[in-house]
Amino acid sequence: MVKLTAEEAFELGNRIRDAAVALHRWRIENRDRLSRSQWEELDNREVTLLNFASSNFTNGIGMRLDSSQISASRLEGSVKHAASAIEHIQSFKQVLDLASALALFAGAVASGNVAEIPAGIVALEDALSAIDHPNRPQDDE
Amino acid sequence: MAKMMTALAIRAYRYALSGVAIVLLVSIFAGCASFREITAFASLSSSAAANNAVVKDYIGSIDRRKQYEPEKFHRELDAQKARREAQRASLDMLQQSVTAYMQALAGLTSGNARSNDESLEEFSERLNQVALLSDTEKDAAYALSTLLSRTVTSVYREHEVKKLIRDANQPLQEVLAATGRITGMDIVADLRGERALVERYYDNFMLAPGNPDEPVAMALAREARVRALDRVDSKIQATQSYQIVLGKVARGHQYLYEHVDRIGDHELDRHFQPYVDELEAAYREFVEVAM
Repeated sequence: MVKLTAEEAFELGNRIRDAAVALHRWRIENRDRLSRSQWEELDNREVTLLNFASSNFTNGIGMRLDSSQISASRLEGSVKHAASAIEHIQSFKQVLDLASALALFAGAVASGNVAEIPAGIVALEDALSAIDHPNRPQDDE
Repeated sequence: MAKMMTALAIRAYRYALSGVAIVLLVSIFAGCASFREITAFASLSSSAAANNAVVKDYIGSIDRRKQYEPEKFHRELDAQKARREAQRASLDMLQQSVTAYMQALAGLTSGNARSNDESLEEFSERLNQVALLSDTEKDAAYALSTLLSRTVTSVYREHEVKKLIRDANQPLQEVLAATGRITGMDIVADLRGERALVERYYDNFMLAPGNPDEPVAMALAREARVRALDRVDSKIQATQSYQIVLGKVARGHQYLYEHVDRIGDHELDRHFQPYVDELEAAYREFVEVAM
């Protein structure tokens, strides 16, 4: 048995469908010369041809689907990468929180008032805790 | 001891300020990345790819055929419907892979601005608790941290968006081309076969030799024929419109791929806008035809 490509199945389906349409046109144009049984016989042939064409399109789609599986899998790989990049941004936020807390702490120390330092230390500890235990709720919240 | 602590803290503060300065310099060179049009494109593409009306109709069309074919052909049609049902998962996967990719791209270009801003609001509250800083100093510290956060995130995001578009373009183009061929060629060709069946059905009713001459029945049949053919023609038009939408998605992504080094530039965003507008118009037209 000859195995068709998707393109060949598509072309064959088109030709068979067009043949069925041409047969139908001939049947209509020559209806006065046809007996009832001849009319029905040709009608059956038309339906058979149209179903055969449809079957070819279904086969062709199956072949296209088979050959596109690799691309779809590769695309899926890119999606996974994007998802991990988004997760990375979320943990990146924690690093930024730490940098901000450090700036706050250093600012309090540089201001010369030791009374403000504990607030800076608490902010730093919170930021560090959020990085060490990302899923744990903050104590002060 | 207290002196040493203070000296260490001051040094840490200077390091922090140096870090902010470096990031600000980066931000000056990098500019403020703009992904607005890419986000709009990815969201639209995701909605378009998620539309499964064409695939559902491809499988359901076999049931429509049954009403136009003699019963002796129904078993054959059932077998063909089973083959199409078996293709459903693969057809869905093709569309879902595009949808998932576009959602991820939209998420990456838009996703975390809000959470970073929320984090900065918390920082602002903490800053307000430091009584020793003047309001101007607090505003300055907050502004610096805002810039720091937005710039670093934006630079990282820009890098990831570029990498994603570079890596995904080829498989995306292949998937879109395969889906486009299936919808625009195979399914349209199949619908043209359905159209021939509809014509055959009504012609048999009206023109078969020996049929009684019933003018009222003939008039009704002629009207029904026109309506039935219009329905199939609308489905052909919707399927062709969907192929156009997929083509616009492919074209837009190809443009991004070809200008990947300029992603994040306001100018690229501006040049890309017509691609987004074209996609939006094509998708709107498809939805109107498919309704």
